[in-house]
Amino acid sequence: MTFAQVLTPPSVGWIAIAPEIVLGVGAALILLFDVQYKPKRTHLGLATAAIVATAFAFAIVQYDRVQTLSQATADQAADFVATAFPFDAMIVLDANAVFGRFAMLLVTGLGLAAGWRLFERLGARAAEGLALMLLSATGFMFMASSTHLMMVFLGLEVGSIALYVLAGITRERTESDEAAIKYFLLGSVASAVFIYGVALTYAGSGSMNLLEIQGVLARNIFTRPAVLLIGIALMVVGMGFKVSAAPFHSWAPDVYQGAPGGIVGYMAAAAKIGGFAALIRILFTAFPDFISTWGPLVAGIAALSMLLGSTVALVQDDIRRMLGYSGVAHAGFILTGVVAGGAGTGEVWFYLGVYTVQLVGAFGVVAAVTGAATSGAGIDAFRGLSKRAPFLAATFTVLLLGMAGLPLTSGFVAKFGVFTEAWQAGYEWLVIVAVLASVIAFFFYLRVIVAMYMEEPVDEAVAPPGISVRASLALASLITIVIGIVPGPLLSLAGEASPL
Amino acid sequence: MVELVIFVLLGTGAIAGALSVIFAKNPVYAAMGLLGTLFSLGVFYVVNLGHLIAAVQVIVYAGAVLTLFLFVIMMIGVDRVEDTSETIRYQRQLVIGLAAILGVTIAALVIGGEFAWVPLAVDGPIPNGTVENIAGIMFTDWLLPFEVTALLLTIGAAGAIALAYYAPGTSVEDAE
Repeated sequence: MTFAQVLTPPSVGWIAIAPEIVLGVGAALILLFDVQYKPKRTHLGLATAAIVATAFAFAIVQYDRVQTLSQATADQAADFVATAFPFDAMIVLDANAVFGRFAMLLVTGLGLAAGWRLFERLGARAAEGLALMLLSATGFMFMASSTHLMMVFLGLEVGSIALYVLAGITRERTESDEAAIKYFLLGSVASAVFIYGVALTYAGSGSMNLLEIQGVLARNIFTRPAVLLIGIALMVVGMGFKVSAAPFHSWAPDVYQGAPGGIVGYMAAAAKIGGFAALIRILFTAFPDFISTWGPLVAGIAALSMLLGSTVALVQDDIRRMLGYSGVAHAGFILTGVVAGGAGTGEVWFYLGVYTVQLVGAFGVVAAVTGAATSGAGIDAFRGLSKRAPFLAATFTVLLLGMAGLPLTSGFVAKFGVFTEAWQAGYEWLVIVAVLASVIAFFFYLRVIVAMYMEEPVDEAVAPPGISVRASLALASLITIVIGIVPGPLLSLAGEASPL
Repeated sequence: MVELVIFVLLGTGAIAGALSVIFAKNPVYAAMGLLGTLFSLGVFYVVNLGHLIAAVQVIVYAGAVLTLFLFVIMMIGVDRVEDTSETIRYQRQLVIGLAAILGVTIAALVIGGEFAWVPLAVDGPIPNGTVENIAGIMFTDWLLPFEVTALLLTIGAAGAIALAYYAPGTSVEDAE
């Protein structure tokens, strides 16, 4: 008997990883073509956009497949398992994973267009930068579809390590170096905390597969689950770092300030999508019955994030730091929806989707005003922007109002959704804190808008943004307004996105 | 009984090695302490039937990585005095305080009997961690994670080029 006869062949599900394959192969092709043919940077950029678009098309195919799967009858059970849980249930093909891919690919496309000036300036490194961007998107998309803690960890590392490099890709500036090394060191500690949580969860439940853990916990009653609880807590801490929730946020403002302007928007948005996708999956799939234990923990982190993020953002004089702290507050707002458990999945995804688009757009404006390859963005550069660059000022206003949650913007619907879920889950105090934090947050968003429209312009001229930047900013603003007025379609799409 | 003796002996060795990494004044002694710890862990893996892991531990960590450490130590120079002054005030006191809180929490959990290890979900005897068995698992059940690590290697290669490929002393704004 040969060895091959002993092994059972792996259950490969091509359709379940099709977008990831497109991105991974695309990144490899970009690297190879760059070495062999030295293409123009514009062509590289167009090729990257085409790769992202192809992956998005495959995600739509997956959405269609998920719709078919949801109507599967009992006699199609074997087929269902093979399609929905390929690779021996390492990953899952469900609406949650597909929505994560939609959000991730939209953010990648927008981030690429909004930060294109950075890649133009990277010279011969442009291909590596683009490939790293695609690979990090692959990693975060794997996080959204993993049903195995080892896959979550691998996705986390693939996504994060590429981001560490991107933060330091403009080595000419020491600020970029500093941001990269800070992100790398703190991120490695967070990854270590997460993997320790995984180890303790394995020790406490006997499995690393989220579905198996759920089964074990449903069949047994653990009278002394301390090991498991510490494991859950450490995993929440690890993901809290990735989404920059307080008190694990200290890296975010520094990294956003120091990293090259063109990539910050993508960096912030991608880490948020990946982190929350994995957090939702871990907490809702594996530990739905432990909600009374992890609920208060998540609620505490949410309250601290919202209050600390909003108040500290008030006193920032650098727009990028301000957006960093506002990102901490938004992580808290999203966690407000997480405390509701599985019922809040749709609202959390809706918030993630609209907020990350606003985030990429806002950092796109910052890069257009203060430079795509530089660090820092003092508020002085934005004074009187409405007279120097009316388009940038207008889009920035829309995006900031969206983040603030003004009615008729997508941010309002998103906030309303997560607050309602938290209220119905019995966290009235958290909703009160959240509304309070939203009011505080209004001030610092308004402060920038006042500076842009009501203060005397500085002499510095703003270079007119390129076509890709203008297109991405217009799209981000349009999404913010249209979803704010007609939220129904996206709400129902996100509402389907609960994990299997 | 044999297992207990091995555990006590090598566990002590592992902890002593780890402590010497922290407290040794000479970096070469610190590296040797690390070697002891890594080797002790390797023996633990053998005791737990993880033969391949044990071999990898000794070859990769105790062999390759530690040799690299020694190279770096020798390159920097052993006799140079290192600056160990702390820039963050009250750092030490803060760490001691937090460590005490952690210790008390763990002690309370252990004394309160809250710790319970759950047996593995797999039925039957624990499989032997030989090369054949690990290869079988790696290319069937764990195929996808195995392939995803390839992405990590690609990122490592592309990232190294991206970070190294720049002209020192230039400004990125000039490159147009």
